[in-house]
Amino acid sequence: MKDKMEEFIRQNRNAFDDREPSEKVWRNIKASLSFGEKSWFNNVTLWRAAAIIFFALSVYLIIPKGILISKSESISSREFRDVEEFYTQQILNKVKLIHDYTNNEGLNGFTHDFQQLEAMYLVLKEQMNVSPSDKVKDALVLNLLVRIDLLNQQLHSLEKEVPSKEEEQPETSI
Amino acid sequence: MEQQVIELHNDLITLCKMGDQDAHYRLYKLYSKGMYNVAYRIVGNEDDASDALQEAFISAFRNLDSYRADATFGAWIKRIVVNKSITALQRRKFEPIPENDRWDVAEEEMPMAYADELTVDRVKKGIEQLPDGYRSVLSLYLLEGYDHQEIGDIMGISESTSKSQLNRAKAKLRELLNGKL
Repeated sequence: MKDKMEEFIRQNRNAFDDREPSEKVWRNIKASLSFGEKSWFNNVTLWRAAAIIFFALSVYLIIPKGILISKSESISSREFRDVEEFYTQQILNKVKLIHDYTNNEGLNGFTHDFQQLEAMYLVLKEQMNVSPSDKVKDALVLNLLVRIDLLNQQLHSLEKEVPSKEEEQPETSI
Repeated sequence: MEQQVIELHNDLITLCKMGDQDAHYRLYKLYSKGMYNVAYRIVGNEDDASDALQEAFISAFRNLDSYRADATFGAWIKRIVVNKSITALQRRKFEPIPENDRWDVAEEEMPMAYADELTVDRVKKGIEQLPDGYRSVLSLYLLEGYDHQEIGDIMGISESTSKSQLNRAKAKLRELLNGKL
């Protein structure tokens, strides 16, 4: 059985901690642990601040720039896409027409020139994707126009040629 | 609530391990008063208590990597403070136990009446008047909550010696409180 004194001490435990240490104790601890020149390197707050500044700087340097690039890119690309769609459709129509005219006989010298232009077009298109510029866009449009011109010439000569064939073999046209 | 306190302390300890000076100060402020009183009750004077407190915190902060979260930081730092205080006591040599006290005293079993009402101040003064050995064992057992096995480990004595020292210390304190000494 615990006596009155023991019970009293346990019940009033916190009241026994009434002395305060001198401020000098912390000053000595601080001096011994040598927080000083070296501590800035280990200072978490400082590193956090540095991380926030670095992050903000990255956002300023990368994201806004990226938005500007993508904005100019998107305007240029949109314009080009419309032009490309229009001329590509024209080319397809004309190629189909020539194909029908030649009746699967191939396009001879025309085919070679046309394929070269197509290959150049693919190279230019790749360039447009990597670093879009007005120069590349113009070159692409020019390529499309040259191909259309070439197709027009071919169609024109075929149109001339076909009636003469029809004249030679009138029975096949009916 | 207790879990939140432990987590707060663990956050502070993590910051301390990274060298954050402010975290060291906050951790010191949380425990310094309690630990100073622990030291004072063992060593019995302000100078030795301040030295023990200072040495304990320096040692704790330098060895934070060896602190394991399986014990609370409070229990860990208290053990360091107690060890530093006992070392200080041994350095200046224990006050010898009076010759006529060198026999075993039976545990007081019946509630005992006191001449005057007990107050914290009177009990504190009574404890401060006890010889070093008695005061240390009584403080460690009644105020710091260590058991006799732990007190034996801390003070380098057997468990039974710790028990008999406590009984003698309580008997002496009762006498002091009843104005017999």
